[in-house]
Amino acid sequence: MGRFIKPAIFGVIVLLVLAIPALAIVARSYILAPPEQPAKTQPIAFPHSIHVNTVGLDCTFCHRGATTTADSTVPALQLCMGCHSVIPTQDKPQLQMLVDAFNSGTPINWTRVHQLPDHVHFVHAMHINAGFSCSTCHGDVASMAPGAVVQVRDLRMGDCITCHRENNAKTDCSTCHY
Amino acid sequence: MRKGAMRRRDFLKLVAATGAGAVVFTGCDPSTIGDGSPKREFEIQSPDLNPQDFAWGRDLWYATAFAGVSGGSGLIARVYEGRAKKIDGNPDYPLNMGRSSALEQALVQELYHPDRIGGPLALNGDRGSGKYKALNWNDAMNQFNSMITSAGGSVLLITPPVSGSVANIVGQTIKAVGGQHVTFESDDRVVLREAMNRVFGSPRFPTIDLANAEFLLNFGAEFLSDWISPVHLSMGYGEFRQGRADVRGRYWHVGPQLTATASNADKWIPIKPGTEGMVALSMAQVITSKNLAKGGADAGSIYQGITLDDYAPDKVASKAGVTADQITEMATMFAQQTPSVAIAGTSAAAHTNGLFNLTAVYALNYLTGAVGTKGGIMLNPGSPISDTLPESTTGTSYKDWQSLAQKIGSGGFKLVMVYGANPVYSLPSSIGFKDALGKGAKVVSFSNFMDETTVNADLVLPTHVTLEDWGLHVPDPGPGYPIVALQQPVVEPFVDSRSFADLMLGVAKTAGKALPWDNNEAAVRAMVASLQQKGGGNVNATDPKEYFVTVQSQGGWWDEKAAAPSAPSGPSKPTAAADPKFAGDTGSDTFSLLPYPTNSLGQGDFAHLPWLQALPEPISTGVWTTWVELNPTTGKKMGVGTGDVVKLTSPAGNMELPVYINPAAAPDVALVPFGQGHEFFSRYAEKRGQNVVSLIAPQMEAETGALATAGTRVKIEKMNKKVRLSRFEGSVPAYQLEEYPIIEIQNLNQ
Repeated sequence: MGRFIKPAIFGVIVLLVLAIPALAIVARSYILAPPEQPAKTQPIAFPHSIHVNTVGLDCTFCHRGATTTADSTVPALQLCMGCHSVIPTQDKPQLQMLVDAFNSGTPINWTRVHQLPDHVHFVHAMHINAGFSCSTCHGDVASMAPGAVVQVRDLRMGDCITCHRENNAKTDCSTCHY
Repeated sequence: MRKGAMRRRDFLKLVAATGAGAVVFTGCDPSTIGDGSPKREFEIQSPDLNPQDFAWGRDLWYATAFAGVSGGSGLIARVYEGRAKKIDGNPDYPLNMGRSSALEQALVQELYHPDRIGGPLALNGDRGSGKYKALNWNDAMNQFNSMITSAGGSVLLITPPVSGSVANIVGQTIKAVGGQHVTFESDDRVVLREAMNRVFGSPRFPTIDLANAEFLLNFGAEFLSDWISPVHLSMGYGEFRQGRADVRGRYWHVGPQLTATASNADKWIPIKPGTEGMVALSMAQVITSKNLAKGGADAGSIYQGITLDDYAPDKVASKAGVTADQITEMATMFAQQTPSVAIAGTSAAAHTNGLFNLTAVYALNYLTGAVGTKGGIMLNPGSPISDTLPESTTGTSYKDWQSLAQKIGSGGFKLVMVYGANPVYSLPSSIGFKDALGKGAKVVSFSNFMDETTVNADLVLPTHVTLEDWGLHVPDPGPGYPIVALQQPVVEPFVDSRSFADLMLGVAKTAGKALPWDNNEAAVRAMVASLQQKGGGNVNATDPKEYFVTVQSQGGWWDEKAAAPSAPSGPSKPTAAADPKFAGDTGSDTFSLLPYPTNSLGQGDFAHLPWLQALPEPISTGVWTTWVELNPTTGKKMGVGTGDVVKLTSPAGNMELPVYINPAAAPDVALVPFGQGHEFFSRYAEKRGQNVVSLIAPQMEAETGALATAGTRVKIEKMNKKVRLSRFEGSVPAYQLEEYPIIEIQNLNQ
């Protein structure tokens, strides 16, 4: 009997070692799922709420690529300055940072909130033109706190396929992986 | 762009952070262009300024032009978010009508090349060391202006053949400075221009009306790959073969190599290298003796000073390696299946008797009335306003390069400026050009890449590439009527470069003789205004602004209704018959070395573009390297096969190359492609293959002084080494399919 103890211990150790990556995958998939992650730090606390709720801008006013191309595109500072060149910056330090960046020709590096893997092709225009609103995937960004946009949907393959099935869209691999 | 504004490079870093950017930048060195840092993977950037196409968010297509090395083309460029994505032919432009070459497609790689020089550089070490320090443009221009002032008129400017606005600016600048301007052109074209001058009375290249011809007899001209205007001629060739319901043009190819172009022919007649002219005279003898000449053409006046009966087929056949019947058949076909046209170039021009070969062949067209007629040789009218938009000039001959190298070496020039040429690579080392540059003269390079000439420069001032610059070009050859192509920038400059024309305008200003334009764009606009004043053409607008925008959007100006130049009745100057001469041993183990330009790399000018490096040479399918092609019989005799390494020894040098066994090589020739063997010229070109120019003995074409690139014999020795030759052919096993049987290529010489 004793001769089986050592192999058994060895086997258990091997199984434990193998379990580490499996647990990591499970953790990555469920415990640390994107919607559960905290808001990422942004260089400027951009208030979507003011632009959408107060001013009444449509998302595509700034994210112009969303209706015509794959990428929703982040606007250039020049677009911001179309309005902010006449809006006072007094007592608005965050806005002052934006104006300073434009005046000094310094691009702003935002922290990306939604990031699909490189092997997935998501075409914004296809979804917008099919009648979906931005909030279907991005949630109610307009009510999120300044500089605290978070991912609200899972946006992993299961999420995509479920939505595609519910809407009778193609689920061939090559629909997204091409 | 205003001070502090975001540069194109910064904007592209944003794009690189997107999926599309990630694809495009794959393989680029993060330290140069693009940003592959994992730290920045989750960053996305708001650039300072909106991209040009921001208002629409859709791609834009701009018409522009490529002056190129082969007549050039009208292009359209797809630009999205301020970045050039794709090049295609301009459907409106008469010379290529929507078609484009692989080289033109690859121009985006020139723009976004990871090894592109990003700004001015000053030598910071020994010449040739490649050690430079970066300068800002103010300091660089101070140094440059100081060099011009110190040179005091002792200036040499080397460029490729330039025309139109650039030729005007360069011409006036050199006149203001008091220097000398020479152009670098491949040797076969130097010979071809002189042949055109003698046979048709103008050094301009003619238009070959293949679309209306019924029979084409081609002596070696690579008109479908690397010869003059290959895109235009390829279109004509398509019409020649398949464009007419009742006629399928017939094409016979005469030459020592079954080239990429020749492989399209109905018949290949292999002849001994350098005997093209002799065969043409023999054909003329047959046409004359059988009274097949048309329209009372007089062979005596066409071939002045030559007794055609001395070239009867039976007297020529064995010398040329053909039969008398073959010559008679060629002559009869050429004279009877009209409209027929005879052309010659590339290898036929590359011998010591190249001019004779070409003039003898082109003069055949007079015998069949094919000059200035439908389906024959159409002469081009040149520039519509020659004083404002000059045509390109003939390239400098090898003989003159020898004199120039000596003059540079002996202090005859205090400043040497090089733009768009790489003489240290392209000229045989025996000429001593590199050494001459090192003997005191200041050297300024306007190159975008650290090539063999630039690495010998004191100052490097990188210039805009095609897609970033303005220009007006007079294509050579044209379509048979006056034409001017407009080149406009389709994107903002990607690196900190300047327009070459702007730098030349600065030189004139420094010399105290400023030209009437503030910058290159202003010069182009003023010259377009001159076209409007001249009148005619495809643009009808009366408002100058509307006129310019129409020229911009159409990609140029042309006048299809203009009368074609009248055809001469015969050659203006006779050319004496001559036999080819070869340098090197003539033993049984020696071969005629026949270096040839490929459809992708040409003479090596574009070896830095990876798309072109990876484009297989059509016959051997070789890529990224150099090889020597030998006939199977020769290979068997020497005991070598594909991949075996042999040593080629000529009077000029030696090199080891892998063999490619090719039934399309004549048994007594060794074919080696041009284009590789760069010591410097970006990561994609450096240390790949060998430069066959180093094997070429300094034999000159007898009358033009051009280098006879096919005038060398080489000895070949087996080296008992084997390498794997990089090529497409045979890389995937062929499986027998019932409906597509595999057939074995047979060697006709066995």
